[in-house]
Amino acid sequence: MKILAVDSSAAAASAALTQDGKILGEFYCNVGLTHSQTLMPMIDGLLRWTRTPLDTVDLFAVSAGPGSFTGIRIGVASVKGLAMPGGRPCVGVSTLEAIAWNLAHLTGTVCAVMDARCRQVYNAVFRAGGGRLSRLCPDRAISVADLAEECGTCETPLFLVGDGARLCYNNAGFQKIRAVLPPETLLYQRASGVAEAAEVAFAAGLATDAARLMPVYLRPAQAERALKKNKTEGMEK
Amino acid sequence: MKLRRYRTASPAETEALGRKIAERLKGGEVLALFGGMGAGKTTLTRGIARGLGAAEGVSSPTFALVHEYDGRLKIYHFDMFRVESWDDLASTGFFDALDSGGVLIVEWSENIENALPENAVRIRLAPGGTENGRAISIEGMEL
Repeated sequence: MKILAVDSSAAAASAALTQDGKILGEFYCNVGLTHSQTLMPMIDGLLRWTRTPLDTVDLFAVSAGPGSFTGIRIGVASVKGLAMPGGRPCVGVSTLEAIAWNLAHLTGTVCAVMDARCRQVYNAVFRAGGGRLSRLCPDRAISVADLAEECGTCETPLFLVGDGARLCYNNAGFQKIRAVLPPETLLYQRASGVAEAAEVAFAAGLATDAARLMPVYLRPAQAERALKKNKTEGMEK
Repeated sequence: MKLRRYRTASPAETEALGRKIAERLKGGEVLALFGGMGAGKTTLTRGIARGLGAAEGVSSPTFALVHEYDGRLKIYHFDMFRVESWDDLASTGFFDALDSGGVLIVEWSENIENALPENAVRIRLAPGGTENGRAISIEGMEL
């Protein structure tokens, strides 16, 4: 099965083409240009240089969130557009799950974290072993301090992955449980990880069509605070 | 940082003040504009965009929520008039723009004051003196 996978959920963007677990090609750009400028040319180049006509792609996959609001929209909209003409199936995978796939070969706890600003992270925790991942909690937004406390009860070793990994690694709570920071090459979400997660999701019957593919936004828990200053002051009086 | 007060006598002078602000910009700044309808927010923004060398026409992004201009630095020109919640704000792309290294110019900052970064430059505009005169205060930036 040929899978075209894209990720534009954070600062970098990537596109990968896989066939039955083999990576036929992958592009990765982390140059600060907007994904609307880099993603489509990468997909186009990937198909050209792997000599893959678009209509031979069996499944389209995208990291559908959490992540940057505009980034997720660009990724999901691109995949919708590519899958729609041929009526091909699509899979939207959790960005956190795609990141965790980088460490599925290890044995231990994989704590995937993306920086959500204000000392908060988007997070999901997985148990890794035997090349497989099992999810221990749903995707969520949580403070670094709360997550560190929770991870204290997890099976060790505990690996941190994602663009929030360094932020967590430097937290005293994670130092205490001797959290492990993997090398740079394994640290971030990649389209090939999206493809791996998508293959599992497809086998589990979780594919959908272009029309039903949707972004999944998670918001940090700042929502209880008023946005307007005057309003807050008014309520306190 | 000190609060600096300026008086401009015409839209041209307000634009000129915008150009002076532009000279100080290095990227990553948030310029939070406060002031009601017709206070001169868009005129000041036009000066800043021109000062940064943006060729595009600058208009109030009331309906688009954000306009982007390409100058010496990338400019994100927001209008928060209709933004009422954190979800609204996220859907404008505000938080993504904060990480972009570009300059954010935010009209109607009154509506999102608790979301402004601590180092935001606060610029307040109000009518002053004559019909076209404006009183403009700038906090967080030396011109």
